[in-house]
Amino acid sequence: MPTISLQRDDLEALIAGPDHEASRIPLEQLEEWLMLVKGELKGTNPETGELRIELQDSNRPDLWCCEGIARQIRIKLLGTAISYPFFKKQTQVYGKLVVAPGMDKIRPYVAACAAVGYRVTAAGLTQLIQTQEKLADIFGRRRRSVSIGLYRLAPIVFPVSYDLVKPDDVRFAPLGMETVMTLREILMVHPKGVEYGRIVGGHDRLPLLRDAKGQVLSFPPIINSREIGEVRVGDHELFVEVTGTDLSMVALTLNIFAANLADRGAVITPVEIQSPVKTKFGRRWNTPIDFGTPRAIPLTAIESALGEALGGKEVTTALKSYGYEVKSAGKKLAVRLPPYRNDLLHTVDVVEDVAISEGYARFAPVMPSQFTVGSLSRLEQMADRIRHLMVGMEFQEIISNIMGSHQDFCTKMRLDGTEWAKVVEVDNVMSMSYACLRQWITPSLLQVETNSSRAFYPHRMFEVGEAAVPDEAADVGSRTVTMLGAVIGHAGANFSEIHSCLDLLLYYLDRPFTLEPLVHPSFLDGRAGRIVSRGRTIGLLGEVHPEVLEHWQIGVPAVALELEIDRLLDDA
Amino acid sequence: MDNLHPLETKVLLALSEQPDSAPTLDHLTESTGLEPSQLSMAVEWLLAKSLIAVHAESVVRLASLTPTGDGYFEKYSPIERVLSAAREAGQTGKRLTIQDIQAKEGLEPSDVSKAVGNLKKEGAVLIVQGGCIESTGRTSPTAEAMRALLQELRNGQRELHTFAEPLRNVLQQHAVKRGNTREPFRIDERVTRSYVLTSAGQDAARRLSRDGVAEEVSQLTPELLKEGAWRNKRFRKYTISLRAPRIAAGKRHPYREFLDLVKLKLVSMGFQEMRGTLVETEFWNMDALFMPQFHPARDIHDVYFVKEPTHARAIPEPYLTRVTQVHEKGTGAASTGWGYAFDADRAKRLVLRSQGTAVSARTLAGGASVPGKYFSIARCFRYDQVDATHATDFFQVEGIVLGADINFRTLLGLLNLFAREVAQAKEVKFLPAYFPFTEPSVEMHVRHPQLGWMELGGAGLFRPEVTTPLGVSVPVIAWGLGLDRMAMVALGIHDIRDLFSADLDFIRTMRGSF
Repeated sequence: MPTISLQRDDLEALIAGPDHEASRIPLEQLEEWLMLVKGELKGTNPETGELRIELQDSNRPDLWCCEGIARQIRIKLLGTAISYPFFKKQTQVYGKLVVAPGMDKIRPYVAACAAVGYRVTAAGLTQLIQTQEKLADIFGRRRRSVSIGLYRLAPIVFPVSYDLVKPDDVRFAPLGMETVMTLREILMVHPKGVEYGRIVGGHDRLPLLRDAKGQVLSFPPIINSREIGEVRVGDHELFVEVTGTDLSMVALTLNIFAANLADRGAVITPVEIQSPVKTKFGRRWNTPIDFGTPRAIPLTAIESALGEALGGKEVTTALKSYGYEVKSAGKKLAVRLPPYRNDLLHTVDVVEDVAISEGYARFAPVMPSQFTVGSLSRLEQMADRIRHLMVGMEFQEIISNIMGSHQDFCTKMRLDGTEWAKVVEVDNVMSMSYACLRQWITPSLLQVETNSSRAFYPHRMFEVGEAAVPDEAADVGSRTVTMLGAVIGHAGANFSEIHSCLDLLLYYLDRPFTLEPLVHPSFLDGRAGRIVSRGRTIGLLGEVHPEVLEHWQIGVPAVALELEIDRLLDDA
Repeated sequence: MDNLHPLETKVLLALSEQPDSAPTLDHLTESTGLEPSQLSMAVEWLLAKSLIAVHAESVVRLASLTPTGDGYFEKYSPIERVLSAAREAGQTGKRLTIQDIQAKEGLEPSDVSKAVGNLKKEGAVLIVQGGCIESTGRTSPTAEAMRALLQELRNGQRELHTFAEPLRNVLQQHAVKRGNTREPFRIDERVTRSYVLTSAGQDAARRLSRDGVAEEVSQLTPELLKEGAWRNKRFRKYTISLRAPRIAAGKRHPYREFLDLVKLKLVSMGFQEMRGTLVETEFWNMDALFMPQFHPARDIHDVYFVKEPTHARAIPEPYLTRVTQVHEKGTGAASTGWGYAFDADRAKRLVLRSQGTAVSARTLAGGASVPGKYFSIARCFRYDQVDATHATDFFQVEGIVLGADINFRTLLGLLNLFAREVAQAKEVKFLPAYFPFTEPSVEMHVRHPQLGWMELGGAGLFRPEVTTPLGVSVPVIAWGLGLDRMAMVALGIHDIRDLFSADLDFIRTMRGSF
């Protein structure tokens, strides 16, 4: 998932925590600790102190930042969870945020808090912005589900309102622009409006955050106001707000930000959200909010999944030193995730956290003991027999890509407008060269012939591989067929040569066949045949049409054979 | 002495039959009946072996036609054409200038003036007032000689000294000299050598005639075997140090050879092969693997969507209902689920298979054996920019293991086995990893002799949200091996696209050391 950039000093200071002097952590030690967060050190810059770390777990957005990584490591070192007072139920709030009716149609949810006492440094600001971007971009799917705004707290007069306005009714100066603009103008002109406008597109009213004095905070999820919504180095009173379409994701994102700012020394004061409709948090609730619920897990479930009788004590220690709240009672554990996580779907999620906390090296590998018989599918066995026979007939095996262009599979083969030109096409084409799946093998081999005029002759080559043949009767609209394709190219290549190969091949496979004349645009008329066996067409062969050779810029005659291996099995 | 080539024998014997004369190559051509090229080859070999020596050298001058001369033969020489034009003008009373002749005959000015000069000297033409040319009616010896020479040399080259002097003079005047290449004739010098036997050669020839020619043959033939005549033959010895002519073998593709080996290893470890389709529904490709429909990896940028038809007709039950429920509420799997409204239409959307795990999901639903081990080597497609590390489509080696004895430790045990059997690795490291459909998840790193620590594969225990809806009640390992880098090292290539090369010579020469 995301790769983030952070400063080694900053990480070391956060690992040490507010009460301890930071010390240099060797990179080897750091890499080992990164296993706790499924992180991989991708690069270091000793001059700038930059570390680049890739985080794998897409269900742990709390780890996609310097603060989150440091927190997970610090908890391990402390051996117990860090407690954040602002998650506790309390009545003291900084102010209210009132959600207007009708928001549910467009972007229903909001969460917010105040963070005071952390003076923003340059490095800290970079991290705040990076976290904001990664969370909105990946976790929030390009701001669709979640977007985040950071503001200077001082100018804001509470209560703040979250409501809908007409696109032309309100104007403000957005970040990155000098002038005052309407929401409609922002959507049309501002880079962020152009980029994210689609999220709120199609609505005649747009979401807006304003304070009690009517000052615009932001036009979520597009852009902040330039006056209030630009945090600068040196600011020490911040307001954080998250809007989105999923209540849990919005709440979780704010919890992560609150924990991050608290780790940097800020005092977090909740904001009360007032909703016009009842949510799973009610009509009024404070954010940040600890909305996790304890989960009862039998110890045996953990032990049997891990294959190791760790015992209640060791499991409890492992989970506590991974940030969990654990209450153990005999063979049962009641576990609860810290509020900045929301990824406990099943007992197995706890099982993995136990294993990670313990370290995978704690578990000795054991071989699965049950006996099974290995085998190849009948299709693969047949394909292998055919490959061996083709090799015996002095053909070189080829492996080609299955994805290619209509030009190669159809146009060059003179198939456009014919029944043979049906191919599986891709909707979201990245490049015209890779726009469809091959429906037969011959074009792949002619591609080789095109590139190989300097390889000494004769050229005999084959490929046993898959192709996709459109078929309305099939579940997925096409059949995946395993085919043999063979091409012979040299000055004297002719029908009889490839015919002999087919004849010998099917003799050894014990499949009597007949050839029926075939009119096929890729082959010379009167020199192509349909291979019929037991009443079914199983393939075709012929002398490649000179115009096809011209299209491929091939300077020697070529003959081709195509055999559907599946059909050699079906009624065998 | 043993290995006289049959050609050499012939020349030696021919020389010994005429002991008093020193024959030239021409003579030897007659007496041996060999082709000139064969003869000169044999003479070179014999000289090199000091069996014959050069007796005398003489230089012969040979006259022949140049391409210009061939042209003159076809269209007559300029001197004849000038003379003929002058005569024609005399008969019709026309006045003829040098320029007229040039224009009419299409001749070079220099050729015309040279011809006119010669004709005037010989009295065949006069130049009168106004630069006009008139025929005198006299013949031109040069023109006559030219015609005779063109006629004669048309049949081939001839020794210069055999021509009568007047002809010889004309020939030499009109022969190619330095600075003037546009002449009809050329004179070449040919060195003619005559040869005699050396004393060693005489000995060899004597032995040959005494022992009879134990004729040397180069190729044993069915006739020689049939008649037993090989007994009297000597078989010429070959120069075996020469490089062998290149041939092409019928052979497997080296990458396929590698995959065949992997296949063999897996079967020998008790794995059964499974196969799937290139086009899949999102259901089997992702939904059945408990990847939520809002998952970032399911975004448009990671999967290829099929254009037509866009959707499968139906997803089989009970799987659709069960998977819907497990996504929404975790029903049946003791899970909370993802808590969103599952889109059954999206489940039917057709995509190009992006992971081999889709094949595993279908196998689980199809009633996999317990205990059971399965693998597939499946072609997969990812929406990636094609470059040295990304191919448009590639092979994924994946599989599953079902069994009541499966847990995290047996998962590690299986990976150890893979490391040893497939990668021949002695050192293994297990790292926590993330896959949407397994928990716990492991990444296996092995120490490769050339690459150092490298990721060999990923694995994990399928989440119950995956197995339960598919009707499987035992734990299941899902594993995948990333073998392309190993294959590339074994094949000595640095670009993944070369695994699918379309260059026959490259494929013919590629060899793997597995």
